[in-house]
Amino acid sequence: MKKAILIGIIAAFAILPLCGANSLPTPQKFKLNNGLTVYYLQDKDLPLVAARMLVKGAGTAFEPAEGLANLTAALMLKGAAGKTAVQVAEDIDSLGAALDISAADEYMNLSASCLAEHFDRLMGIAADCMLKPAFSPEEFEKERQNRIDSLKAAKDNPGQAVRLYFRKAYFGTHPLGHLAGGTDTSLGAMTVGQVRDYYRKYLGPQQAVLAVAGDIEPDRLKQVLNRTFGKWQQSVPAPAAKLPEFPAPHGKVLILVDKPDATQAYFGLGFPGFGMGDDISAAAQVMNTLFGGRFTSWLNTELRIKRGLTYGVSSSFQQWRGNGIFNAFSYTKNDQIGEMLDITLELIAKAKKEGFGEEEIQSARNYILGQFPPTLENLGAKARSYLTLDFYGLGFNYYDGLLERIGKITKPQADAVAGKYFSDQNFVLVVVGRAEEIFAQLAKFGDFKIKKIGAADF
Amino acid sequence: MKRLTHVLVIVLLLSLPLALAAGLRPGDITVHKLDNGLKIVLLEDHDIPNIAYYTFFRVGSRNERPGLTGVSHFIEHMMFNGTQANGPGQFDRIMEASGGANNAFTSEDMTGYTNWYPAAALEKMIELDADRMQGLIFDPKVLESERSVVASERRMGVENNNENLLGETVRATAIMAHPYHWDVIGWMSDILSWKRDEIIAYYRTFYSPNNAVIVVCGDFQTPKIMELIRKYYAAIPRGPEPPAVLTVEPSQLGPRRVVVHKPAQTPSFLQVYHAPAATDPDFPAMDVLGMALLQGESSRLYQRLVARDQLAIDVSGGIGQSIDPLLFTIAVKPRPGVDTGLIEKAIEEELARIKKDGIAEKELMKALNSVRMDFYNPLMTISGKAYKLGQSEIYYGGYEHIFKAMDPYKAVTLKQVQEAAGKYFSENNKTVGVLIPEGGSK
Repeated sequence: MKKAILIGIIAAFAILPLCGANSLPTPQKFKLNNGLTVYYLQDKDLPLVAARMLVKGAGTAFEPAEGLANLTAALMLKGAAGKTAVQVAEDIDSLGAALDISAADEYMNLSASCLAEHFDRLMGIAADCMLKPAFSPEEFEKERQNRIDSLKAAKDNPGQAVRLYFRKAYFGTHPLGHLAGGTDTSLGAMTVGQVRDYYRKYLGPQQAVLAVAGDIEPDRLKQVLNRTFGKWQQSVPAPAAKLPEFPAPHGKVLILVDKPDATQAYFGLGFPGFGMGDDISAAAQVMNTLFGGRFTSWLNTELRIKRGLTYGVSSSFQQWRGNGIFNAFSYTKNDQIGEMLDITLELIAKAKKEGFGEEEIQSARNYILGQFPPTLENLGAKARSYLTLDFYGLGFNYYDGLLERIGKITKPQADAVAGKYFSDQNFVLVVVGRAEEIFAQLAKFGDFKIKKIGAADF
Repeated sequence: MKRLTHVLVIVLLLSLPLALAAGLRPGDITVHKLDNGLKIVLLEDHDIPNIAYYTFFRVGSRNERPGLTGVSHFIEHMMFNGTQANGPGQFDRIMEASGGANNAFTSEDMTGYTNWYPAAALEKMIELDADRMQGLIFDPKVLESERSVVASERRMGVENNNENLLGETVRATAIMAHPYHWDVIGWMSDILSWKRDEIIAYYRTFYSPNNAVIVVCGDFQTPKIMELIRKYYAAIPRGPEPPAVLTVEPSQLGPRRVVVHKPAQTPSFLQVYHAPAATDPDFPAMDVLGMALLQGESSRLYQRLVARDQLAIDVSGGIGQSIDPLLFTIAVKPRPGVDTGLIEKAIEEELARIKKDGIAEKELMKALNSVRMDFYNPLMTISGKAYKLGQSEIYYGGYEHIFKAMDPYKAVTLKQVQEAAGKYFSENNKTVGVLIPEGGSK
């Protein structure tokens, strides 16, 4: 692959601006009797249907024990409505379909895709998993152990590990510091009783929103949903889901994770950001595109194109309700990590002091607008967008408005984003690599706290 | 009941061309050829105001030789690094400023250049792409910088990724003679020592119009785009006929085994068998076998290794399309501390069971449904369509194959699947690799 950075670009924004008005078709909306909200778009191009569900508040940031939301989500597929885990898997796989349940930070996700002719059956299975999960002690124990083992496997891959350590270093004990997969300590203490309790408290139709897009007639859709998810009942009112105030680094938080066999050193750098739907979104998107969000960005130009230090570097704003962060990640040979960090911090300082060129601003605007339409092409992306826009209360014309604003972003507006969020004094910096070889290079950036990759937790 | 379900599936498969009506119809595609041998496949699609412009060259790691391993992938990188007309980095700068983005990939069998841009940028983008087809300058300074980038890519993708490190070792053990012996990224010592003139000679040989096919899908008018393609590509001279790959991998005559010791927290395990090429009549049956064994949590090896015996965190693998025979892989992520001998024994038992009893009808049905999903899913996007059409060109000699892709699958019988298992999953055809965490047990 020429560009590892592409992944960064796609991941950079959950929501991007849209080229042309009404590019996201407005969905139909109805509610089932139990309060479940449904958005629906008929699209007969291909014999496929995509369904996505979002359960508000059932995400990792609100779980009482780290990793519990995702463990619960996974176990919902491991046996339901009298069927064993293997029977459920067989039912799904026999259709050639995909059905997944997982927890994001602020909500739980269900994702289902199938051939149109199998929609009724897949929704039947999905509803069984959501409404009647078995949560057997045997499956709980298997899944819990699998997760503990997976944490070790993740630490064997420094590119994966650096993101986990970064998350911990930035958020600490804030709920967004919860790792999706949990930690050795949290998983070690988890019980199946906690899973059952979490399910009962956090999952119910009144917190759920479903979006369906594809080749399905509205009457059939309603019949299928009434027969399946229509039976879902709320057992107790869900707890309020509100994120506490975000931490912001005061001074430098510096962590070095020693991985003795690594032949490259990996870093993650973070600053405060802003929340989903914030007025600054459009200007921030332009700024990040220029700084580290595309192939010709400042970071990629200096670190990869000019100096050949790395195969990939990217930066992005991550947003949640009310607040967010800015982060950048890259890696290079052990003996060049000091040089890489020098350049990265110099670029941060330059963006803050000098800002960007007029021509660059124009280029970034064109780039964002030009690359947006394909992001909404497939059925799953449309369904997902309905849920995201609903969850953050942005409205289905949000993309159009954002597009319009991006088209008008000026140099001072983009520069102001760097001025506001970048700092040479307050940031979180995590490096994963071979301490023996890289420690001396890091000394000039401050006092690093050293951790061992093999130690428990993060 | 089972029988009925199966019949239903077959009927639906037969109705595929009708189901394609709105997504991709043979009549919507036009094919053109320039005098210099360049083939162009066009599919208008006006759903979004964008174009997917893909160029596929029939060159990959199978065309390389020792000393030049990884060079196809390196030229993929250099295709963004300067021509006489457009200096290093200009391709990306102009494209991104025009609202476009791009990427590229290299496999064993092909190199693909993938551009996505707004319809309005069409002419400039065609000019840029035609310019680099034969116009690269390989500036020595830029070449050295990009060499470091690829070395970093290898460190990231192989040296610091235990699964890939083991994969490279197992591949090189299973395949002795054919150029599939090495990974697409190439050996580090070759990456660090390719000579500029060798790279240029390789580029001149393989990056010619007669060794390429352009596939465009999106918001354009066919007469207009052909006018532009002729304008910018017609003057590029036809290149030499690329040398054929003549090496045939000799039959494996006994099991092979390789061990990698490395500091790690978890072991890795990989078992492979020589497998048929994409056009081999055995390919669909092997693909079905792969799905029965490894696709989804209902698969036999997931159930045995992860769910039942709890020896592994996950399993994956199967067969992939390739021009020459490549490998069927069974990749297992063992749990920490697990004896990988137990994993191998369990796999052997499961394979023996399939060789003896074949697979069940419901497993064949699952595979057929999966094939249909895999077929339709990419057709939702212009990029997916362009990729599928290009893939058909490279592996099957023409885009038309896409409309027949399901035929060999719907003809697969349970007996063929069982026979394929017996033919390919033999002890003599097997290579096993284990990565053992240094200082730990297997």
